[in-house]
Amino acid sequence: MNRYELTYIIDATLEDSARKELIEKVSALIVANGGEVEKVDETWGKRRLAYAIDHKNEGYYVLVTLNAPGEAVKELERNLRINDSILRYLTVKLVEKQSRVKPRPVRTPAPVAEPAPAAEPAVEAEPVVEEAPAAETPAEE
Amino acid sequence: MSEEREERRPRPRGGRRPRRKVCSFCVDKIAYIDYKDVNRLRRFINERGKILPCRMTGNCAKHQRQLSEAIKRARAIALLPYTAE
Repeated sequence: MNRYELTYIIDATLEDSARKELIEKVSALIVANGGEVEKVDETWGKRRLAYAIDHKNEGYYVLVTLNAPGEAVKELERNLRINDSILRYLTVKLVEKQSRVKPRPVRTPAPVAEPAPAAEPAVEAEPVVEEAPAAETPAEE
Repeated sequence: MSEEREERRPRPRGGRRPRRKVCSFCVDKIAYIDYKDVNRLRRFINERGKILPCRMTGNCAKHQRQLSEAIKRARAIALLPYTAE
């Protein structure tokens, strides 16, 4: 069993009910071939294509994360090619690196974590220092 | 031969060396360049849709390889153009 990510584009002119049916069908196909569907993501939905495919400028993007043996993917892709409503598909094998995708905020926690313990004793000492001049200045003025 | 070419290259005024570019993927500590991250990928293609060389972007070789793969994947599913115009 490997982890794969399948992206496919459905013809945007397809009606909602037919599209839903097709997405169900693809998921069922994965299961039928001994795989399991981890997630079906339709957040992109209807999107402009970067170039026309079959004279169509729009497509409905569906992202599927799945666990399946390699032969299942072969069978799945064969079926995706047969269906005319599916304009494009792309299956990518997910590697270990990928599950920890984009740890972008990694840089921020590190500096934050370090000064935090150091700052605590400083905070304790600070109010005493700060309060004294604060009380003095208004009195002087 | 190569030294000669180096000399002919126009230096910026003031005699200052151009700043060494750093790989933006290394800076952001990205282990995997996602082909779905179109906005990020878009910065590394020119207006004709060609992949920019690392000598222009400053990417390190490791990330440039990953990047070109990601851009090609994005092209395959019409997220990025093969060619614009």
